[in-house]
Amino acid sequence: MAAGLLELGQVFAVLAIAGAVALRIGLSVIPLYVVSGMLAGPFVAGRFGVPHVPNGELLTVLAEVGIVLLLFFLGLEFSLDRLLAARSRITRAGVVDVAINLPLGIAIGLALGWSVVEALLLGGIVYISSSAIITKSLIDMGWIADPESEAILGVLVFEDIVVAVYLAVVAAVAVGASGGGGGTADLALSVGRSLAVLAVLVALAAYGTPLLNRLLDTRSDEQLLIRVVAAAAGVGGLALAFGVSEAVAAFFLGAAFGATEHVHRIERVITSERDLYAAVFFLSIGIETNPALIAGVAVPLAALVVVTTASKLLSGYYGGRAYGLSERRSTRVALALVARGEFSLVIAALATRPDIALPQGETIVALAVGYVLVMGLLGTVLMRYSGVIEGRVVKSLG
Amino acid sequence: MTVYESDLPGVGKKHEIDLPDGSQLVVVTHNEGRREVFLRADPDSDSEKLFELPDRLARQVGTILEGAYFQPVKSQDIETLLGGDTLLEWVDVDEDSPIAGQTLGESDLRAETGASVVAVERGTDVIPSPGAETTIHAGDRLVVVGTRENCEDFQSRVDGA
Repeated sequence: MAAGLLELGQVFAVLAIAGAVALRIGLSVIPLYVVSGMLAGPFVAGRFGVPHVPNGELLTVLAEVGIVLLLFFLGLEFSLDRLLAARSRITRAGVVDVAINLPLGIAIGLALGWSVVEALLLGGIVYISSSAIITKSLIDMGWIADPESEAILGVLVFEDIVVAVYLAVVAAVAVGASGGGGGTADLALSVGRSLAVLAVLVALAAYGTPLLNRLLDTRSDEQLLIRVVAAAAGVGGLALAFGVSEAVAAFFLGAAFGATEHVHRIERVITSERDLYAAVFFLSIGIETNPALIAGVAVPLAALVVVTTASKLLSGYYGGRAYGLSERRSTRVALALVARGEFSLVIAALATRPDIALPQGETIVALAVGYVLVMGLLGTVLMRYSGVIEGRVVKSLG
Repeated sequence: MTVYESDLPGVGKKHEIDLPDGSQLVVVTHNEGRREVFLRADPDSDSEKLFELPDRLARQVGTILEGAYFQPVKSQDIETLLGGDTLLEWVDVDEDSPIAGQTLGESDLRAETGASVVAVERGTDVIPSPGAETTIHAGDRLVVVGTRENCEDFQSRVDGA
């Protein structure tokens, strides 16, 4: 008992320090949480014989809760109605984004000599921008009131949907490919099972609203929170047991809950839990990562950063133009979307899951961690210096 | 007045209000309740943040803006119902009013309209119960008692209509 509680204390003490540093230097907390995990974990603190945070069962489970709640919350904010009512401007900007960045990531993975599944994961990692980092920066910079923020947030929502579906397929393919050496039958079974679970959840979202309304009908915020966490953790766990991505299951469960009349209360009661466990997830992925591995992939990492920064800038700019924004505001869309973060890490975490265990799994996680650290910072910095960059862009085009 | 509403997924809602001078007032309501208020000088410029308020304070300020505590009204619309059909009304005397420069007696307002002047407000001074010899100047505000019809007649005489 004492050991577990102490471990929990260590985890949150490290997070608290990382958060304080992030606030002091004015950076997003996500990269700092990851770095603090690396420093406090077995690979750095452990190496120097300092008491370190062990990578134990407790941390794994809490981090898993973090992933589930992150995706659940995303689903909550994304109701199916909004998907159907999605305006074509957002769709145009979103299509430009996915058509450029996802194939590029997959191509880079294949060029590195990785398997198809590994390359698919890399595609997702470089495609999806960080809602958490970007949304916070939009508010901090005051862009939130201007038209570009509608385009940026619209593209982020579009990405969420693409990634939810994408993750469902990739996780199923990965599980199928790892069981029985990638036999076609295994693959078909795995994908079929995954789609069946998702079909149940989508049906729940489409037809289960009255039932969910009744199940969640309580005046007590405490009871609401307990019921929501029970559903999210339960469905996530069941999904995993069926070989389906728990993140995707949580996303669709969130979408189902998002259609109920309790959605705003759920958002209110669940936000602090999500932040708590998501922080543990970021720390945990840092703890799993050996900095030596990141150093080992420095060359592909640098190439990845350069190429995918350029591609995001390009897709963001043309996405902004397709949305109907001016050159200056489109430049802002481009700069804002560069930041990658939480979802790249969620996708990377698939690579080392025991039932998937890709040969390049650790390399993928190390690459993703290094990538998020660079892109999280780069995105924030680019937004801060947007004034200079916008001027140059408008001048060179004009 | 046009108000545009848009969703900001993950943040809240945005309302943009067109102002008469061509600028826009932008109110961002965060999901957690905070309101940020911006002013955008024209569609191409960046919004400048004016202030932000927490949820409760924003609601209070909102009710003040709405006029729940105090309703400022144009002077010619000020009237108080004394009971029955009798009104107490304030009537402004403009530069071009036919009665400016006349005494109350000369203007013969009471005989013609049935409404009588019970006080004259002149700047910060008030002349209570003015007599027939009291001269009315442009810029005066007359406090008048009469029926609604009397008061309407009085107003049109003073306006020269």
